[in-house]
Amino acid sequence: MKRNPLLIRRLALGVLALALLGALAFVALRTGPLAPTRVTVAAVQQGRLSPAIFGIGTVEARRSWMIGPTVAGRVLSVKVDVGDTVQAGQLLAEMDPVDLDQRLAALDAALARTASTQAAAQAQVADATARRALAAVNAKRNQDLAAQNFISAGALEARLQEKASADAALQAAQANLSGAGQDVMRQRAERAALAQQRGNVRLLAPADGVVTSRDAEAGSTVVAGQPVLRLVDPASLWVRLRVDQGRSAGLATGLKASIVLRSQPRTPLAGQVARVELLADSVTEERIAQVTFDAAAPASVGELAEVTLQLPETPTALLLHNASIQRQQGQAGVWRLDGGKPVFAPVQLGAYSLDGQVQVLNGVKAGDEVVVYSQKALRAGSRVQVVDALVKGQSGPAGATP
Amino acid sequence: MTQAPSSGGILIEGLRKVYGQGDTAVEALKNVNMTVGPGEVVGLVGPSGSGKSTLLKCLGAIIEPTSGRMTLGNELIYDNGWTTSDLRALRRDRIGFVFQAPYLIPFLDVTDNVALLPMLAGVPNAEARRRALELLTALDVAHRAKAEPSQLSGGEQQRVSIARALANRPPVILADEPTAPLDSERALAVMRILNQMAQQAQTAIIVVTHDEKIIPTFKRIYHIRDGQTVEEAGEGRALL
Amino acid sequence: MISLAGRDIAHSWGKFVLTGLGLGLLIGVTLTMAGVYRGMVDDAQALLTNSRADLWVVQKDTQGPYAESSSLKDDVVRSVRGMPGVAQAANVTYFTMQVSNDDGGETRAMVVGIEPDGPGAPGYLVAGRQLTRSHYEAVADIKAGFALGQRIRIRRHDYRVVGLTQRMVSSGGDPMVFIALKDAQEAQFLKDNDAIVNDRTRTANNPAFNRPGVPGLLDAVQALQTSSRNVNAVLVQLAPGFEAEQVAEPIRRWKHLAVFTRAGMEEILVAKLIATSAKQIGMFLAILAVVSAAIVAFIIYTMTLGKIREIAVLKLIGTRNRTIAGMILQQALGLGLIGFVVGKVAATVWAPVFPKYVLLLTQDALTGLGATLLICALASTLAIRAALNVDPATAIG
Repeated sequence: MKRNPLLIRRLALGVLALALLGALAFVALRTGPLAPTRVTVAAVQQGRLSPAIFGIGTVEARRSWMIGPTVAGRVLSVKVDVGDTVQAGQLLAEMDPVDLDQRLAALDAALARTASTQAAAQAQVADATARRALAAVNAKRNQDLAAQNFISAGALEARLQEKASADAALQAAQANLSGAGQDVMRQRAERAALAQQRGNVRLLAPADGVVTSRDAEAGSTVVAGQPVLRLVDPASLWVRLRVDQGRSAGLATGLKASIVLRSQPRTPLAGQVARVELLADSVTEERIAQVTFDAAAPASVGELAEVTLQLPETPTALLLHNASIQRQQGQAGVWRLDGGKPVFAPVQLGAYSLDGQVQVLNGVKAGDEVVVYSQKALRAGSRVQVVDALVKGQSGPAGATP
Repeated sequence: MTQAPSSGGILIEGLRKVYGQGDTAVEALKNVNMTVGPGEVVGLVGPSGSGKSTLLKCLGAIIEPTSGRMTLGNELIYDNGWTTSDLRALRRDRIGFVFQAPYLIPFLDVTDNVALLPMLAGVPNAEARRRALELLTALDVAHRAKAEPSQLSGGEQQRVSIARALANRPPVILADEPTAPLDSERALAVMRILNQMAQQAQTAIIVVTHDEKIIPTFKRIYHIRDGQTVEEAGEGRALL
Repeated sequence: MISLAGRDIAHSWGKFVLTGLGLGLLIGVTLTMAGVYRGMVDDAQALLTNSRADLWVVQKDTQGPYAESSSLKDDVVRSVRGMPGVAQAANVTYFTMQVSNDDGGETRAMVVGIEPDGPGAPGYLVAGRQLTRSHYEAVADIKAGFALGQRIRIRRHDYRVVGLTQRMVSSGGDPMVFIALKDAQEAQFLKDNDAIVNDRTRTANNPAFNRPGVPGLLDAVQALQTSSRNVNAVLVQLAPGFEAEQVAEPIRRWKHLAVFTRAGMEEILVAKLIATSAKQIGMFLAILAVVSAAIVAFIIYTMTLGKIREIAVLKLIGTRNRTIAGMILQQALGLGLIGFVVGKVAATVWAPVFPKYVLLLTQDALTGLGATLLICALASTLAIRAALNVDPATAIG
């Protein structure tokens, strides 16, 4: 008896209908809002962290100078250019002395004049001394004569008065002499002062260094304090590091640093923290530290650098991946899987490392399974399905980038 | 002279049908009188335009006559107005139709085609199918019971359509040119079956035809011309 | 009684299934359009939810930071932190720009400047880790197409992608890239080198700033011009036990800032930002519904006309009008059902391929099912009318 084609057809249609309904059910349960959320989990484990501090900074020169005049004037000549290496004491530039030389000459003449005055006073002293000597001898003789009553008392008084006058004249002459001497000294001092000023218009290098800027040319007028040249000591370059205040725990002098200059991103340079500034920046909320290079670095002043400071390893503690950390209403916590359902467990966090590991001080135990990655935000009691990885090629936190 | 049959059969008295109104009125049937007893197979012969299609439609409760009386079995169905409101049920339960072409429902198999009418009348499916199978067996097409109409030959389809007409055991069957597309052997076979079924179920059968091949088989023939019928005795040639 | 409709469908199942497939694709498109709208609303919701904020503090009289640009000084956050009911407050910047990766391609992304651990930072990752360094690290959304460890360029600096997120997108569907706030401030507000040099020259030529007697003045002014002290918004998380409006009102009044709660932001994003697109999609859905109805009506009508002879026979042999109408109606509904199932499956299969997020909700599917069946039923009335008007006498000569 041949099979009824109608029956076969009905059977086939039935199978098709079932298949279609099955597909419908499949899509409804697997991909729509009814589907469970896919998550990856990791067990909380013990471990040690190598925390580090990261910040960016600019290369600055520790020692730099602005070379300029102390009084307003005109630049006469600039002897060096940008990039020149100079020695300490080298003449870098000269200001226009204007009338200083003439005034020096005037003072020279004045000095000569006071010398002459001094010589005149000297001669006067000699003259007064001679008169005094004569007056004294006369007075003595007349006294002797007066004692023998050979002369009148009046004649003796006259002679005595002459002696006194001669004494006074001598004192006056001597005082004149010392006055002339003081005059000379005064003139000398004035001349020395003007010579000092004359020396000031020569701008000398205060120390060895490299010229970084030539700010005024010969003939320009500059005021006091305005630089004509800027010098930098190339051996004194360091990085002025800025670290977020919130992430600067452990910042201290002496920490070993790894410096990556913007111009050489592939070769980190070694250095160490030389100074942590007492004054932080409250506007940008950053702390400042100065990091020196261990070896001379081919950097430019103003270049950007990224600095990583290595902190000492922490003792063994429970570690979590920082992708697990959630915050609800300001409280940090993780989603712990309890019987296959996620439960929010508040935790207290400790140190963290730059590759994403965080210390957990309390809130979970070793071996607890916590959710690391999830497709959607979780709520308490959401349906979850644990998978190996959510993104192809990323096999979980072990494959995370440092 | 008309004679009311004792039970079953068809009685038509003074049937009149007018199409249209006023000047364009056409009197298709003027004064038709027919009587067919249960178990009788009667021929209705006439040229086209004579009104035989109109008569068939009136008998089949498809169109409404203008005046007259029609009795089907024991039931007066028309007396200058339909006596029943559910003409459809009348057609379903009391009248069987056999058409020129089998007109089987193509998406039902043979059994269900035959069982359809009983099912529509409320008979449970299993019982309807059993009855259908009986009829198919009687008509010698039972071996095609599960086939689709398109798979049957013309003659087999015609037999199935006869089975369908008989399925609800109607007292009357109206056959409209059932042998027109058939050759003489098959035509006589159909007439044989009709006579058998008429005998078995005591059904009154009216066969509208102008097929010369089967006219001799009727015992009685009604000729219709211009809307009037005339009874005539037929040859009554035996069918074996 | 057997099901005439079922038998007819089983008999010409090929035609039915093909028609159902065609109709199904049309329905699939309709469902997808509704999904696009839902996706846009969900994008806006995701943006608000992923920022993990309860309040948005923006420039006064603006509706920022997503719908309008808003600019605040970055020390406003300190005074907001001190208001009662504020558990956490963080600065945040948003800037849509082109981000290039190392093989020259460019991606349009929304660069978000965040303070780590504060509101605005991504709440969950799908790979990698959160930001640990204060500069030059980025967490990007998967939709941007970056891989972990890849270097991307934002304005002047290269950033390394250290983490990946999912479904962190802007209201326009652009993927987000999270970087440290200071980097983002510089990227958003600092101009290009030529502009900076130009500004420096202008300042140097201005005698008010370039005074010879005050050596450090010019440098100070030029440093001021290139510093960026602005942010786009401050995100606030409420302490437990406080209501949003309760905390927002004092900030509005005393700090002269605009503050929006979650409900307010939703209204801005959904009602205002998405309004035009919503109207467009609504019109498109209406057109699709009309087209679907017309197609179903045509198909059912044609199928019915093909059966006109059988319908006449059925009527003649005594089938009720009700039964015949029921057969046609059942066929139409069956077609609609097949079409709907095909459409739903197709929409689910091709939804992830769309560049924008397509969200197919169960309630939309149920509404679609109801609408489909209703449309099919209405569309079948044409065919039913034709069937009922058939004169059974045509079966006879």
